Amino acid sequence: MEDIAIIGAGLHPWGKFPQKFWTNMAADAAHEALADAGIEWKDVQTVVSGSQNWGGRKGIYSGNYFDEVMGYNGVPTINVNNACATGGTCITVAAAMVASGYADVVLAVSADKSAKGFFPFLPPYHEEPVPADDTMRWMMGLPNPIYWALECRKKMIKFGITDEHLAQVKVATSKHGALNPMARYRKEFTLEEVLASPMVTDPLRLFEICATSDGAGAVVLCSAKKAKQYTTKPITICGAGLGSPLYGDPTTRIPVLGFMPKPDVPIISESWVAARGAYEQAGLGPEDIDFVEIPDNSSWHYFQYLETMGFFEEGTAHLALERGETMIGGRLPVCPSGGFSSFGEATMAQGFAQVYEMVLQLRGQCGARQVEGAKVGMSEVYGMAGNNSALILKN
Amino acid sequence: MTDAKRVLMGEGLFSPELGDGHLIGTHCKSCGDYFFPRTFTCHNPQCEAKDVEDVPLSPTGKVSTYSAMSYPPPPPYVAPKDYQPIPVVAVEMPEGIHIIGMMEACDPADVSIGMEVKTVITVLYANDKGEDLVGWKFKRV
Repeated sequence: MEDIAIIGAGLHPWGKFPQKFWTNMAADAAHEALADAGIEWKDVQTVVSGSQNWGGRKGIYSGNYFDEVMGYNGVPTINVNNACATGGTCITVAAAMVASGYADVVLAVSADKSAKGFFPFLPPYHEEPVPADDTMRWMMGLPNPIYWALECRKKMIKFGITDEHLAQVKVATSKHGALNPMARYRKEFTLEEVLASPMVTDPLRLFEICATSDGAGAVVLCSAKKAKQYTTKPITICGAGLGSPLYGDPTTRIPVLGFMPKPDVPIISESWVAARGAYEQAGLGPEDIDFVEIPDNSSWHYFQYLETMGFFEEGTAHLALERGETMIGGRLPVCPSGGFSSFGEATMAQGFAQVYEMVLQLRGQCGARQVEGAKVGMSEVYGMAGNNSALILKN
Repeated sequence: MTDAKRVLMGEGLFSPELGDGHLIGTHCKSCGDYFFPRTFTCHNPQCEAKDVEDVPLSPTGKVSTYSAMSYPPPPPYVAPKDYQPIPVVAVEMPEGIHIIGMMEACDPADVSIGMEVKTVITVLYANDKGEDLVGWKFKRV
């Protein structure tokens, strides 16, 4: 894929906004992105919008209702749903639309108002010949974090990871999040506070699993060639990898009830595939990345993603955390934004929070949490059912 | 156990009688792989013939990893008022397939990797219609 430029980015703060329509949040983010790009709504040639699971029928066809509040003008609109990887996927689809020549200026946008607590069951509206695994797991009382806990326990035993290591993740991400005005949680946590939080799905405690939030984000994309007419500081998307699982993946992936691991298939293979796709497109490797935004849905994700993306050998990311290498100022700053742990996950919009942070970091606009000399950033976002999106951006 | 009407989580997923039992999965006679829940085709992309049949899975296996639900699971699960944390395990069957399920009558602290367990067919809870929902759990051998 040819290089594509991000010429504008906007983000609605993360939190809980019960009095605000999600279309309002999406429009706020979009207006910020359009103003940042110096263009108007009428200049947008295609809209790629994140489809929501929790917003009923309007949420599914989110782009159409976004267009309505922006002012219907016939703009081609695509609704995208790749679970929690939707944000990154929207941006990838938008980039592909530009690269193909279908449109010169594309707006990618997503808003989400998440369900409270454990994400709920979404029942099918027809009889299933055999209940699907995603139907049965809810009958059996298996919400998402139990799957992460099953992987986490295995990893702890295999590599000697302790409860303190898991808690240290929250301590680290909260230090970064405290410096980010867009984050929902801006308190710095101590190890003792995290360890004292209630057990949810053993070994994962409450503060080691991300909360669920409302949020929205938008970016404006155009070809790298045309970007100069809009901005002197375009941010380039040089790698956009998507992934789906490999057969024989050993992961207890949401929502499986039965799985048959095969030798030599990597864990979270969809994420392994997406990261490698992004590296290949960019012609870069893990050693070229200056900072990374990972999907820290839980402390297990934090360690596993750093290893799956190739930054650390399998079973060693907790040691890097121990040495402070993943902090701003360290060898590889991880989640300088504060991550999902500081934002709470607004599922379909979460990828936009990562990309917004990368854009600000690469423009040198992050103030106290600025990664010095940041030239190349990478993000990866994890979606249930085997979805993934990895992006590499450079300035 | 009550006299309430019993409903199965699904038809043909496990042996129908309560007590010690087994799950029913799909076996591909062409490539040898197993699937659960049962399916209409072999999912192995390397397999060409995809000659599948439904078969009983082994009744016993070994715990490959474990956790516990400390909070009452959300609906449609119906948790009792005096809910206690329930251990959840993945069990590796001799066929090589891993199955996820809850442990029956077991303290979370007593579960360990490698522990041998058997499949039991049991009432999980009374559902929102007051019917006893029958599914599978694992029990220490």
